Amino acid sequence: MVSAQTVLGFATALFGIGLYGLLQRRSLVAMLISLELMLAAVSINIIALTSHTGTDPVMGQVVVLILIGVAAAEAAVALSLFVAIHRSAHDIDVERLSEQQG
Amino acid sequence: MTAENLVFGASAAVALGGALLAVGLRNIFHNILGFALAMLGVAGVFLSLGADFLAAVFVLVYVGAVAIAMVYAVMLSHPMDEAPAKRSGAKILSAVLIAGGAAGSLWMLLGTAPWAAGHRPAMVTAAQIGARFLGDYVLAFELISVLLLVAMMGAVMVARRSGSGRGTW
Amino acid sequence: MTPVLASVLAQAIPLGAGALILLALRRHPASAAMLAIVAVAVSCGLTLFLVSAASAPGTAIVAQRPWLPLEAGPGLIFGVLIDPLSSIMSLVVTSVTLLVMIYSLGYMAGDKGYARYFGLLSLFAAAMLGLVLASNLLQLLVFWELVGLASFLLIGFWFERPGPAAAARKAFIMTRVGDVGFLLGVLLLIRALGNVSILDLVSQAGWHGSLSPRFLTMVSALLLMGAAGKSAQGPLFTWLPDAMEGPTPVSALLHSATMVAAGVYLVARLHGFFAAAPSVMHFLLWMSLITAVAAATMAMVAEDIKRVLAYSSISQLAYMFMALAAGSVGAGFFHLITHAGFKALLFLAAGIFIHHAHSNSMREIARHGRPRGRAASFGLIAGAAALAGVIPFSGYFSKEAVLASLGPAAGSAALILAYGGAFLTAYYAARMVFLTLTHRPIASPSHGPTNETTLAEKAARTMMAIPVLLLGALTLVLGWLGASLALRFSPGVAVRGALELGAGPLLALGLAAAGILLAWLEYGRAGAARVGFVERVPALRDFFANNWYLDRLYAATFVRAAQALSRLARWNDQRVLDGAGDTVAAGTVRGGRTLSRIQNGQVQMYLAIIVTVLVAFAFWLTRAELLL
Repeated sequence: MVSAQTVLGFATALFGIGLYGLLQRRSLVAMLISLELMLAAVSINIIALTSHTGTDPVMGQVVVLILIGVAAAEAAVALSLFVAIHRSAHDIDVERLSEQQG
Repeated sequence: MTAENLVFGASAAVALGGALLAVGLRNIFHNILGFALAMLGVAGVFLSLGADFLAAVFVLVYVGAVAIAMVYAVMLSHPMDEAPAKRSGAKILSAVLIAGGAAGSLWMLLGTAPWAAGHRPAMVTAAQIGARFLGDYVLAFELISVLLLVAMMGAVMVARRSGSGRGTW
Repeated sequence: MTPVLASVLAQAIPLGAGALILLALRRHPASAAMLAIVAVAVSCGLTLFLVSAASAPGTAIVAQRPWLPLEAGPGLIFGVLIDPLSSIMSLVVTSVTLLVMIYSLGYMAGDKGYARYFGLLSLFAAAMLGLVLASNLLQLLVFWELVGLASFLLIGFWFERPGPAAAARKAFIMTRVGDVGFLLGVLLLIRALGNVSILDLVSQAGWHGSLSPRFLTMVSALLLMGAAGKSAQGPLFTWLPDAMEGPTPVSALLHSATMVAAGVYLVARLHGFFAAAPSVMHFLLWMSLITAVAAATMAMVAEDIKRVLAYSSISQLAYMFMALAAGSVGAGFFHLITHAGFKALLFLAAGIFIHHAHSNSMREIARHGRPRGRAASFGLIAGAAALAGVIPFSGYFSKEAVLASLGPAAGSAALILAYGGAFLTAYYAARMVFLTLTHRPIASPSHGPTNETTLAEKAARTMMAIPVLLLGALTLVLGWLGASLALRFSPGVAVRGALELGAGPLLALGLAAAGILLAWLEYGRAGAARVGFVERVPALRDFFANNWYLDRLYAATFVRAAQALSRLARWNDQRVLDGAGDTVAAGTVRGGRTLSRIQNGQVQMYLAIIVTVLVAFAFWLTRAELLL
């Protein structure tokens, strides 16, 4: 079996990569991708901890499923917002968007 | 080395590689492909942790739906003919430092915490999850379905071309 | 009515009246003046009752109430002490204040600060009564400072003019120099005894033998500093002549009976305590001898009538200190009372001349001719006669008592100085009278016809004349009280009869007559040159006229040192303190600019900060938990 430490280490690495992308990428879509990576890391942690430590594993999976639902809703709204922003500003680069000041 | 370990190692490698592609490449389409790859890897990790149903849902939602939606959004919003802007070294450096510092700190907290170890991950079936969703977590289940409905309608409303009359969607 | 209640009311009524006037009646001058006069009159009646209640020698009615209890010792106590000394002194204060107030009805008529003036006078009377009736030194110090404040406000009453404002500042600061010593002395006493009750100090009860002579000398010297500052003695006198910038009735009140007498009263009050420090008393004797003569020389050349009176106040106060230093409370206090009477009289009479001539210069006053009514001239002559020590007037008896008290204790040098001072006093008093009253109009077209005087002016004149006449009559009466006073203060001591002539009184009378004669030769007789013998020597005249150059000495030493100190303080303030402040301010601005660069709307910058803080916070929380 895979130890909890190993899984947590993997999830932390995934979280770090996602955070790096969130901080560095200028495209809103790329930032959303990075955010989803971080959420995936969170899901892995929840599963690993609920299944390895004897806590109710079913509950952990239920929570992650709810999390997936929220993330999907968030992605849908975010992507439609990007389209709307592009329509009004003809750009989705966050640095240039903030320079336009609305 | 057990099969589980093998599956976990391979999946984790795929996930991390996909994640690196998703944030590192400059072409947004390549990023989305890397993202799909990373999600596949994460699904593999779920498999190795005994969460079969979750792995399937992950592939369905992220690879099947979110990634595709992203492609649509990119096609609708990104100016394809423009060269991508130059990257700023200072920004990359600070992002690396902050993300590395955050991940390192998290690892110091999580990795050194005394987790209760030795439990073999039990297999969880879809039936168990379904029973929970219609039992203890029925309220959360209903709420999440309402949330998805609202998000879907909101997405349509926001993305609609304003002022172009009815029936265009 | 008990004496205690009467004494509390005597202080509270003028205080309440003053507060009411200053707070509510500023726009109602007539009612303000009426209220102030009624309050002081009531207070005067109450103090008269106190005098009768404490008439027997050795009476001491004390009522005390703890005000601020301390862990160790009896704490801070407020109370009243009624004995012959305090009751008579309070009667002097209230009666002089009352007369000055009535006089001010005429003198200050039409002044735009009329109501404020009466409010301040009431306040001053209340503070002075508090000082006189205080049962312990700390309370006395509180009212002492209040008197200083009230006198500051009164001297600077016409604060919009630069002269009075500067004089008020000078009076305040110079007396402050002495007050610091007073405060230190009281604090030292409190630390040593835990209790500064005047009666205990005077009777030497509870501390006799427990305090070292050196400590007693130090404390006595410090307390004496306060007395000297308040009474314009020794090197601290220079504020008093300048304080003549105030309204003339204020001068009459402050510089005759009350404020400057506070220092004398303090020494008389604590005489039993001071007696334990003979070296300090010896120093006081010589300081007052020198002050008496020095101030007299300054009075000899002054051209301003109020300055003459101011110098004579200093000189006469020095005589009081002289008697106290020589060990006779009765003689010193007697002179305080008679001086209060005739000096108030002189100031008020001079005020009428000043009011008439609109000038303080004696020659200018003479040129304007006499004001209508004889009161002013009579008052001036009677007052000057008392000051000079002419026989039926009060000053003769008290000065005689002072000089007699010196007798056995002092050496011949001291006696020569004291009698020489008496001669000079007679000379400058007569000079003042001759200069002021010898009417030499150069070209006075129309000062005589006064048909157009209004009713109000006539009323004002009457108001000013009444107190002058009353005080003039008093100068003839007060002198006969000496024997009874001496009985009250030092029972058992054989008292010389008032008219008992011996070698001393004859010498004093002769000197007074000689002084008056010299003044008449130089100023009074027809065809006199009106130039004094001192004025013929310009160097000497300048020396006397400029306060013996003491002001210049202070300017060259203390003031310059203080200015250097203040420059240092300013440098410290501007460079070090302000510099620190500026650095902090500039640092804040610069820091704000730097930080505002973060606040630029770049969402990823916000994210970076949020993550950093969150991680740091999580880390800190977990570590804290581990530590626990």
